[in-house]
Amino acid sequence: MTTLDQSSANALEGLADKPKSFGRLAWERFIHHRLAILGLVGLIVIALGFIVGPMINEYPFDKPDVLSRLQGPSREHWFGTDEIGRDLFVRTARGGRYSLAIGLLSAITATAIGTLIGSVAGYFGRAVDALIAQLINLFLVVPALIVLSVFALNFGSNWWRLAIVLAGLLWVRIARVARGVVLSIKEQEYVMAARAAGASHLRIITRHILPNVVGAVTVEITLLLGSVIVLESTLSFLGLGVRPPDTSLGRLVADAKGNIDNDPLRVLTPGLVIVLIVLCVNFLGDGLRDALDPRARSERGSGDD
Amino acid sequence: MTEPVLVVEGLNVGFPSKAGVVQAVSDVSFELHAGEVLAVVGESGSGKSVTALTLMRLHAKSTRISGRAVFEGRDLLTLSDRDMRSVRGNDIAMIFQDPMTALNPVFSVGSQIIEAIRTHRDVSKQAARARAIELLDLVGVPEPRRRVDQFPHEYSGGMRQRAMIAMAIANEPKVLIADEPTTALDVTVQAQVMEVLRDVQEATGSAMLLITHDLGLVAGTADRVQVMYASRLVETGGVDDIFYGSRNPYTRALLDSIPDLVSDTDRLVPIPGNPPSLLNPPSGCPFRPRCSLASDTCAVSVPDLMTVGEGHATRCHHADRLVTEGAL
Repeated sequence: MTTLDQSSANALEGLADKPKSFGRLAWERFIHHRLAILGLVGLIVIALGFIVGPMINEYPFDKPDVLSRLQGPSREHWFGTDEIGRDLFVRTARGGRYSLAIGLLSAITATAIGTLIGSVAGYFGRAVDALIAQLINLFLVVPALIVLSVFALNFGSNWWRLAIVLAGLLWVRIARVARGVVLSIKEQEYVMAARAAGASHLRIITRHILPNVVGAVTVEITLLLGSVIVLESTLSFLGLGVRPPDTSLGRLVADAKGNIDNDPLRVLTPGLVIVLIVLCVNFLGDGLRDALDPRARSERGSGDD
Repeated sequence: MTEPVLVVEGLNVGFPSKAGVVQAVSDVSFELHAGEVLAVVGESGSGKSVTALTLMRLHAKSTRISGRAVFEGRDLLTLSDRDMRSVRGNDIAMIFQDPMTALNPVFSVGSQIIEAIRTHRDVSKQAARARAIELLDLVGVPEPRRRVDQFPHEYSGGMRQRAMIAMAIANEPKVLIADEPTTALDVTVQAQVMEVLRDVQEATGSAMLLITHDLGLVAGTADRVQVMYASRLVETGGVDDIFYGSRNPYTRALLDSIPDLVSDTDRLVPIPGNPPSLLNPPSGCPFRPRCSLASDTCAVSVPDLMTVGEGHATRCHHADRLVTEGAL
């Protein structure tokens, strides 16, 4: 903390000797964004709960225990038990881990593919762009759910395969954004100015174009992460995602839906977890967008916005 | 006179379009000497910016170019891309019209100057940074040690253009191309920026190609002037030749269209008509349809650039009549 205070004192005197990088400024803006911090902390708490919780509350996720069927929440079973007596907290944690892992893996994969393809399309333009734009349109009109249900037969219990297929369907959303941003950035005069200063293609792409893409794409990632988790839950709800006896958040909702009149809590708990995760991710995205906006105020957060 | 740093000979630039080739620059030749300011004047579309961009080889791939642009014994138009990159920003630097868009909003002004230095010089970041601060100070940015870390949006328009100038002179280029450097600025700021530009140009001893349509700017800063019309040079000469002894009807019309603050006229004096299409230029002199001196000979051939005085040449069939009628 002392280094931060020091540099702020230096800056006030106009003596700051270290150039403040864009990343540093973005970080400073980010940590002063309350909702984003709330989202980040929320996500960490949820993830830790999924990992640490089952160590404290040691029940097997898949062994039936007929003596304790259909219990409500109690000190032994935090979220209650299902029809064959499996602890629902342990199952929610396990399902949540799958949902998060699938969400993260497919969002990262989709971003990598999407940014690369979208940027290439935008930067080189002409035939390359026309081809990729058509490809993007094609993917956009393909209903993800139907493709996934066809692929579902081959998923087995491999969660990462599901994640890859999701990424294969969702990269177009990132690509579309990246392409649009690159298209507008490459016509900017500062790109011409960089060429006039003797910069190479590679330098222009890495120094002048990609940093401008990062902000837009980051927001898209968080939105994507939210929709992947919802999509995975939908699939599992339809019985196409993670296979029993394993579980995911969507499957937990599906399993409980038959008994919703007598035991609404069993549907609500995993449902609420899904909502919380998506909400936190979206808050995080919101904060990142504000932090990564190069035109945002750069003064250190003297107050909230 | 000293040996010219840049010699342009017979430069032609054409843009192919669906309707045919648009000839943006036709047969332009000039020399640029160290330490001088050569202004290129003309209305929009006369080819002045295209000339500058072509010298920097920043044109589109499909552009058709012929002619030579010899800089230090090498023809810029035939250099390899790699060699050209080492010329750009190093030997020849460019200042763009709009400082609002010519700086990358993502990086601090200082880091962009540092980048400009380190692209061509093998120096440490600290050394480049010290140089950036020195440059900002030179172009009159107050508190350069603090402002070096600020972002373009924290600079005003005039300050940004100063930063652009600092970036352009970072490697002490031999030729500085300023493409309408003050068009996007307030009038009061224009004067300050021009002063800075002139000062740094004198300090570094570089030659400056000043592209503008602002004749007031030319009168104040240029040593020599070239007037362009419809892709051609129509008159070239010392600043006094052009302003007080022009031998070209287009130049005269251009000068007449400047509002006069002394005489109490109500109306501006426009040049009637529009510049000709560069796609299908009219026969003969391109200014003929708008010229009060036009005669039959003007419809037959494009006049040659004739020398009418020392370092003064004009492209007009009736240049002789302009001496006697000269009532400026």
